[in-house]
Amino acid sequence: MIDSPGLCRELRCLVCATTSYYHPLTPIGGMSVVSEIVENCSSHDPLLDIDSSDTSSGVQSNEYLELQFRVFRLTFLLTFFSVGIAGFFLGIQASASLFIGALSGIFYFRLLARGIGRLGTSSKIVGKVQLIVPVMLVLVSSRFPQLDLIPALLGFLLYKPALIIQFLSMP
Amino acid sequence: MDSITTAASVVAAGLAVGLGAIGPGIGQGSAAQGAVEGIARQPEAEGKIRGTLLLSFAFMESLTIYGLVVALVLLFANPFAG
Repeated sequence: MIDSPGLCRELRCLVCATTSYYHPLTPIGGMSVVSEIVENCSSHDPLLDIDSSDTSSGVQSNEYLELQFRVFRLTFLLTFFSVGIAGFFLGIQASASLFIGALSGIFYFRLLARGIGRLGTSSKIVGKVQLIVPVMLVLVSSRFPQLDLIPALLGFLLYKPALIIQFLSMP
Repeated sequence: MDSITTAASVVAAGLAVGLGAIGPGIGQGSAAQGAVEGIARQPEAEGKIRGTLLLSFAFMESLTIYGLVVALVLLFANPFAG
């Protein structure tokens, strides 16, 4: 019976043996060759280490996630700032519409970022699911008289100043 | 809303979405192509490429959203409806 680390080691040895078998410079036969292969396999091989490749990919995806979080943070800051100004000058209704529009803009941007994150790995195209968000926002704003259309749309577009600030602050 | 205004609004909504989606569609396709090629050539720069692609996609897709909003306003909140 083989435990889990033992099974991994056996699989690594099998892969090493297979690659060595097809290598043109590998000597044929003999226990010394087998023991050499096993010794090579028991050492740390970065090409066979799945964890190391996952770690480098994780660093890149962390960079992408950090960019998203920075944009989200800026968008939230702009949202609270603009909602406060709208509530002070235009009233509660415009402020609530602006807030709902900003939340839907953040949701739209999250869906867009998820679609771009999947591009090239699990999907060949960037989906258009995120376009449902402005459609629903306009429909809800036109159906409910408590919401104003123009402040909701302006709130929806609040992610763009955050993107511009982020783009200008990029090195 | 009379029938002429209704018909003109529907035609204008279709034109706004259709014509407004042509340019961003072409741009997004070429941007995604370049990004995937760049990631394939330099996998270590994947994070930066995806970040730049996200920014450019957000700006390009907003053009589609403008046309979409105009079409939806014409259909569901038409200011010309008497």
